[in-house]
Formats: sequence, structure tokens, C-alpha cells
Amino acid sequence: MSPAGAKTAKYVYGVVRPARAKPKGKGIDGKPLRVVTADGIGALTSEVPDAPLEAGRDELMTHARVLERALEHGAVLPMQFGVVLPDDDAIREQLLAPHKPELEAQLQEMDGKGELNVKAIYDEPAILREVLAEDSEIASLRKTIQSQPEDATYYERIRLGELVAAALEAKRERDEHLIITQLAPAAVAMEVAGPIHERMVVNASFLVEEERVQEFEDLLEDLAAEQHPRIGFKLTGPLPPHSFVELSVEA
Amino acid sequence: MATAMQQSPYRGGSGYVARSSSSGLYDVLELILDKGLVIDVFVRVSLIGIEILTVDARIVIASVDTYLRFAEAVNRLDLMSTETQGLPELMEGITEGGSASKTKGVLQGAREAIFGDDDEDDDDEKSGSRRRSSSSGSTTRRKRSSSS
Repeated sequence: MSPAGAKTAKYVYGVVRPARAKPKGKGIDGKPLRVVTADGIGALTSEVPDAPLEAGRDELMTHARVLERALEHGAVLPMQFGVVLPDDDAIREQLLAPHKPELEAQLQEMDGKGELNVKAIYDEPAILREVLAEDSEIASLRKTIQSQPEDATYYERIRLGELVAAALEAKRERDEHLIITQLAPAAVAMEVAGPIHERMVVNASFLVEEERVQEFEDLLEDLAAEQHPRIGFKLTGPLPPHSFVELSVEA
Repeated sequence: MATAMQQSPYRGGSGYVARSSSSGLYDVLELILDKGLVIDVFVRVSLIGIEILTVDARIVIASVDTYLRFAEAVNRLDLMSTETQGLPELMEGITEGGSASKTKGVLQGAREAIFGDDDEDDDDEKSGSRRRSSSSGSTTRRKRSSSS
């Protein structure tokens, strides 16, 4: 397909409505973006070499940015990073045509909505102070340990850590529940991904209607003010609805 | 409706919620690697380097090493001090996945090998003392890298 004769393939970023898509900017490796259409739905693509795809920072960034820009022109259903098909026909025959009804339904459902990702993280000293204040067994074990040389307290320290870990997890579950329950009313749907490190309380995505993004942000801001300084919050989005799209396996 | 959803501008200064900066790949990495439409059976080019990118911070609390870290963190805690970590530092910690946090101790185990080749070996060594949390995220990635 390419003039040089080297074999190429098509990287697919997501599914869009061709009538609204205005592919601007560049795709992976600076290649131009094109919409491959089939019967009213389209795939946002760019050409890549027909070879294993490098998954570096640039490629991942480009994938994310192309989808974010597409969202400015209407609903977009993001593909997971790394979907490559041989050519335009394969995109039509293997992606667009067989999944047309569900893709159309999801494009309609995602209209005017975006994904807001919320991460909530404990402040370590603050949360450990809470644990000490609330749990007398932990507090007294800590005192015992501190009154003895370190070598003499190996098992006590393991026990202390175990108690702290359990107390933290119980606390985390309560706080996670509290936070997502307060945010849920402003969202259409929610996906709780779970913590990815020890201090993380909440790692969740919310599907929010455009006109309610401000409301969502206000709820989150209230929550953050209330929980300050024990929990810090971070908000990302509105993003394309990565967590809220899916394709049935058969078809 | 034909709506244009745009990134809200960074809300600097005011408010307690940190906003992702436009270059914050870390914040969307999990989403673009784990979520979204996939057509499984069809051509998915093998992804070079995807293991290096794995966000493998799902450590578990149930190990002796972790318990000792928690114990150390609690023992070092200065109960008199009311000083808490400032929000900017805290958010830096989030962005870096915790490993860059100024507070040492509990967090030292939380490592994320994002874009760091050097971290790969280290991670493998440590994986013995880890157990994945019940979250399903990294399972998907493992599957992918082994099937490529």
C-alpha cells in the first residue's frame, strides 16, 4: 500500500461517527489520521508498519491524545491501546460491520458524556496517626517495641505491622465506600478499579454528562475539603469513556 | 448531543482537588492499557516493551516485608508533630505512583515500573513477596504479553 512497497497495517484508535469526525493532528509516528467508514460508523486510524508495535511513551501518549481530540467533536469509543488490523477492509469486515448495532448503540449512549477518573490517596503520617489513636492494641504494642532494642522485637514488629495493615485496609474500605457513594449521584455509571498502591483509597472512573461535570467537580471539591488533610484527591478528565465501552466477544 | 467535551483547565491554587496536567500519561496509562474496545481474535500486533510499561504496583499488604515497613513507619511517627505533607508534594507522590514520595517507609514497596528498563529485574526479584490484590487489572496485561 505504501509507495515504497513496505507492508503496512492500520492502527485503530477508536470508533466515531464519520459525519462528525474531523481528524486533526497526527497519529503514531506522525502519520496522518484517517476515518475508515462503513455504513454510518467509522474507525479512527493511522498507518503503521506491519511489524510489532513499539509501546513506548510516545505511542501511548499519541493514542491518548488522538482520542481526547476526537472527543471534542462528539462521542468516541476508545479502543484499548495496541489494536492493529491489516488494512481498511479488515477494519470494515472484522470491526465495524459485525459489531455495528452495539457500536451504534454505544456511540449514542456516550454522546455528551465523558469519563472522570478519581484517585484518592491517604496522607501517610495523618492516616497512621489516626490508626494509632483509634487502636489501643497498636498503640501499646508500639510503646513496648520502642522501649526495647530493635533486635529484640522482630516478631513484635511483624505483629505491629500486621495490625496496622489490617486497620488501614478496614479504614480504606470504609473511606472508599463513603467517597464513591457521595460522587455517584452526579454520574451515569461508575467503574471502581481498586487501589494500585498501599496508600490509594479510591481508584475509580465515573461516566458523567457534560452538563453535570461541574456538579461532579463541586461534589469532589467538597469531599476533598472535608477530608483534607488525611486524603488527597486527583481528578483526570473528561476523558473518552475508556472504562465504559465494550464489545461482545462473539460476532 | 453533538457535544464537545474538553479538558477542564487546570484549576491552580484554589481548591483541594489536584487536576491532571496535560502531559500526565501516568493518569491515563491504566485506562488505555486495560480498558476500551478490543477485538481479541484479530490481528493484534505484539507489543514490544509492554512488560516494561506494566503498572505493577499491586502489592500486597500480606508479607513480612510489608509488615516490617508498616511497623517502622508507625514507630518513626512523631506524635507531637501536627505537620502534614503539603498537597503539592502529595500530588507529586500520586503522579509518580508513590515511589517518589518524600515520606519513606510504608511506600517504599510501592514501585511502578513505568518507562524504566532498570526497574524490570528488580521487579521480578520482588514479585515473590508480592501477591496481586483482588483487582483484575494486571492479569489482563500478563495475559496479553504472554500471548503476543
